[in-house]
Formats: sequence, structure tokens, C-alpha cells
Amino acid sequence: MTTAVMDPNRAPVAFGRRAVPQLFEQLQVQDPAHKVRALTSLCDLVHEPERLYQTVTGGFLKQLQVLLQDEDAAVRSKTCELLQLVMNHSIGRSALLASSLLTPLSDLMDDPSASCRTNAHRVLSSLAQQPAGAEALLSLVHKLMLKLCQLEEVRQEKQEEEQELLLSTLTSCSRLDPLPALASDGVRVLGQTLTHTSPSIRREAAAALMALSVPADGKQQVCDQGILSNLLVLLHDRNLDVQTNAAGVIMNTVIIRPGKYLCLELGVIPVLLELLSEEEDEEQKKRRKTLVIYCLRALTALSEAPEGRVILSTALPLLERRRNEQDEDVRRAARTAIKVVTWKP
Amino acid sequence: IAFRLYCPREPNGMYTYSSHPKPVEIRKYRDLPDPQLQYGNIMYDRRVVRGNLQDPGMQQRQQAYRRRAIARKQAKDQLKTKTPEAIEGRQHVDVQTDSFLEELSNIIQVSEMDCQTDDFLDKPSTPLFVPAKSGVDVETQIEEGDLFDFDLEVQPVLEVLVGKTIEQSLLEVMEEEELACLRTQQRVFQELRNNELAEVQRLEEQERRYREEKERRVAQQKEVLKKEEETAEKIAARVFSQQYLAGLIPAVFTALRNHGYFYDPVEKDISVNFLPWLIAEVNNQLDKRYAAREVLDNIIYEVTQKRLLEFTHLMLGQNCCDS
Repeated sequence: MTTAVMDPNRAPVAFGRRAVPQLFEQLQVQDPAHKVRALTSLCDLVHEPERLYQTVTGGFLKQLQVLLQDEDAAVRSKTCELLQLVMNHSIGRSALLASSLLTPLSDLMDDPSASCRTNAHRVLSSLAQQPAGAEALLSLVHKLMLKLCQLEEVRQEKQEEEQELLLSTLTSCSRLDPLPALASDGVRVLGQTLTHTSPSIRREAAAALMALSVPADGKQQVCDQGILSNLLVLLHDRNLDVQTNAAGVIMNTVIIRPGKYLCLELGVIPVLLELLSEEEDEEQKKRRKTLVIYCLRALTALSEAPEGRVILSTALPLLERRRNEQDEDVRRAARTAIKVVTWKP
Repeated sequence: IAFRLYCPREPNGMYTYSSHPKPVEIRKYRDLPDPQLQYGNIMYDRRVVRGNLQDPGMQQRQQAYRRRAIARKQAKDQLKTKTPEAIEGRQHVDVQTDSFLEELSNIIQVSEMDCQTDDFLDKPSTPLFVPAKSGVDVETQIEEGDLFDFDLEVQPVLEVLVGKTIEQSLLEVMEEEELACLRTQQRVFQELRNNELAEVQRLEEQERRYREEKERRVAQQKEVLKKEEETAEKIAARVFSQQYLAGLIPAVFTALRNHGYFYDPVEKDISVNFLPWLIAEVNNQLDKRYAAREVLDNIIYEVTQKRLLEFTHLMLGQNCCDS
């Protein structure tokens, strides 16, 4: 429906089944402007599932591999956008995993053009949402960590989105298997990232830390490197997601004994109690549910220590109130918390 | 092969024809099946008109000239005398005998000039033929809204355009919504998972601690038991050894006394030092006496022996005397 007359930025599209193959043929032309136009039309077409299916099963993805290494940055960037749209469906994702496009994509992370880098990160991040994709990306985790270090050293405005996407990729990969990220000194880098000015980056960094603090080694590292004080600061943050993720990290860390005692020293309990005691209305309740649950679990773990139990036994009425809430998960968490607090050896 | 492109976009519906270039067929033999094999060079096709197209009689006149020229040439050639043929074994060769040699070449330097008279120069040009006016003058003017009503006509076109755009955008929006739903679901699941994971780990930790505590207590208890046992054994051993050793000292003393280890030092001294000396001295004295007695005995013996001898001598002597 879009013709060359109507929109100079898009190549003309053939009718019916011929549309996708013809556009791919046009991609063979050497002229970069031509290629960009064809890619833009493809991006429009690929929203439709039938066309997407045709693209994937027609084996056109191999051509995209050549395009990813093209000299023109606009071509590369548009190709990444196209890949991003392909990733929206599961056949696209499995096709991407089956093809060998991951290596050029990972090379694109070091591309000089910023939009190209951002798009490549988008593709990787949406690939990592799927478990099979995350597994494939595990080998890249080390490189991603290095990139994160680089980005941290040079904090610039334009690179925020890139950093955010990179962090979300890392989080998804680490949820599957946190060991590679831990091995590449992930905890230290993420601890630095926690103090970033942008809230979305803080949120992602805290989520990544939460995934990393699941194995015992990670918890130990979090305690040793003094990240708990940063997390305490983040608990007072205005953004709800940042608070939630920070509470999650604390919840994971206080399970081990050094974590418990460090948190008790830092005075985390009053902060958590304060977060729990905030009055909410219905809509806010839904959004804060996760935060509430994480806080309750953290308090449960803290009350395993006798000092914690002493402090929390004074806060029992608050926990009782939570127990009578409507949401099943919150109720369960509160019940466990009360049980642990009132346990006598 | 000719195929037609029907272009429906022109609104007045003009018919266009275009075909792929193909060679002109020459059907020399009617029963030949494929005319494509028989094609000729169009430059030498007799059917194509050549030359000046203005005078129709010119073509025949030119052909006549050409024929007459050929005939003339042939006649002239026959009358011309030529050099005699060469004798057998010899060859006629052209040779330049001038002092300055000239280059002869086949390529003749030719310059062409032509000129053509206009056939009809003496006749003035015919004026434009304007036929006499006949019929009625009629004029027409297209008013607005006569041909078509734009608003009505544009409706379907607009519908298509807008429809397609909305369809595309709906598709995109639905896609995004779907993705957002998936993401939300994933996030909820992740949170639940994190929760449960934390709970599991906490319980694990708790379990571990309890187990360790239990083990420690058990170990402690074992230690206590062991200590108790040891103490009991020690006490028993002590009692036994005390008993055993109670009779030891008197026995020892008795034994020692029996062996003569407890002595009166003066008595001992006397018995050890004095008495042997005394006895030794007594022995010495006695030895001296014995020695003296022995000497005396020896003397007595000797004397006796001597006396015996002497007496014997005497006796003998006496005997001798007697006899």
C-alpha cells in the first residue's frame, strides 16, 4: 500500500506473496540508501505474522548476516531494528538462535554508531527474555560485563539507554545461571552502577544484583564489598521499582549470617518496617505488593537472628495487620514472618 | 514473444501496446514450420523503400540510369585495347621508373561533394488547404461538479487508505499489547519465583543452622559423657592404686631390712673396717709365729738330721771299731 510516490523513505512493496522476497532481492543492491528504504518497508511489513513467517521460513535471515557487517551505519541500525521486530514472535526467536547471527550481533556492541549499538542491545535483551536465548547468551556474559565496566567509567547521557538494555540482558542471563557473571566480578561493577543518576539504570542494576545474589558466593560478595549501605540508600528512593529491587537484594543477602549481622548493624530493620507501614489505597496496593512481600521476607530472614527477633517482637502488631490482608501471597509471607519472630528455641 | 502491460491507472483508458523486439520474418517457403529461422537483413530487403521519397518516378529513372551505365561500361570495355598477355614463364609487373618514387596505395583519396536541385523550384509552394466552413459552431464548458463529485468519489479511496493505515497501526498496537502482557506475566512470575526462592533459601539456611546446632549439641553431649567416663575411670584407678600401694611401704622396708640395708653405722664400721684388720693382724701375727715355728722346725729338723747323720757315722764308726 505504500508506494514510492507516497513515501520517499520506503521502497515500493510488491503485492501478496511476492512482497518479502522482492524486498530481500532489493537488498542485494549496493546502494546504501536503497537498502535503507527496503529495510524500512520490511520493518513495516514484518509486524504482520504471515509476513514474519515468510521471512523466517524463506531463509532470508542469512542475508541479514551480511547486512549486519555492512559499512553504512544506517543499514546496520535498520537491520537491528528488523531483527528486533522478528524477535517479537517465538518462531523468530528460535530462528535467530538457530542461525549464526549472534556473533555479528555481539560484534555490533562495539560499533561506533550509537543507534546501532542501542538497537543491537535491544535485540539481545529481548532474546535473553527467553530461556533458550539466555542460555545462548551465557557465553557472552563476560563480554557484556566488560562493556558495562566501560560504560560505567564514562557516564554519558546518550549511553543510558544502552546501559539499561545491557543491564536487562545481564539480569535475564543471570536469572538462568549467575555463575559466569559472578566470575567476571559482576558484584563490584553493579555496586558502582547502583549510584547512577538515572532511576531506570538503578532499577536494572538492582534487579541484576538480585539475580546475582541468589548463590551463596554472590551473597558473600555482596556482604564483603559493602554494597549494603548503597542498597539502604536505594530503599529511600522515590521510584517504586528501585525500592522493590533493592528490597529484593537485601532479602537475598540476609539469608547468610554475615549478611544478617551487617544489616542489623546498619539499621535496616526500621527502614523496612517503615516501608511496610505505609498506608496504601487499592491501586497502590497492587503496585506495592512485590515490595511488601520482599520486605516481609527480609524481615523473616532477619528474625532468625536473636537480636533481630528482639527488635521485631516489638513490631508484631504491624505484621499482624499485614496478615489480615486480602492478597494470599502477602498473607502467607506475613504468617511466616510472625511464626519465625515468635519462635522460642 | 510479446506480452502486453495493461496499465489501469490512466483514468481515460488509453490503449497502449509494446512488444519485445523480434526479427522480421521472411517466409520464403510456406511449409517451413518456424519462421524465426528464416530472417533476413533488413538493409537488403527489397520491400523497404529506398532513396528519395519525394518524387515517385525518381526510383524508376534511377534504375534506368543504372542499367544504361552498366551497359555503357560493358560496351566500352569490349572496345578498349589492352596490353597483350604475358608469355609463358613471364609475368608483367608494374614498375615505377621515375626518379622520385611515388607511393601507390589502394586507398584512393576521395572527397565527395553532392548537390541536389529541388525538383519543384519553379513552382511556388501550395497554400494551406482550409476547407470551407460547414456545420454549426458548438462549444462546451465543464462546470464544477459535472465530471464527477470529488467528495463522493474520494470516499472509497480514502476508506482504503485510512483502513490500511489503521489496520497496520492496530496490528502494531496489538503486538505491543501482547508483548506487554507477556512481559507482565513474566515479571509476575519472576517476582513470585524470587519470593519463593528467597523463602526456600531461608528455610535451607534455617535447616542448616538447626542441623549444625544439633550436631554441636550432640558433640558437646558426647564430650561430656566421655569426660564423665574418664573421670570415673580415673577415680577407680586411683582407688585401686592407693590400695595396691598401701602395703607397699612396709613390705619395702621389711625387704630392705631383710637384705640388711638398714644398719647401725658403728657396728657396721667395726665389722667392716676394724674386725678384718684385726683378724688380718692376728693372721699376720700367727703367720709370723708359724714362720718362726717353721724356721724352728726346720732348724730342729736340720739339727736332727745332722745329729742323725753324725750318730749314724758314729754308729758306723763304732761298728767298725767294734768289729
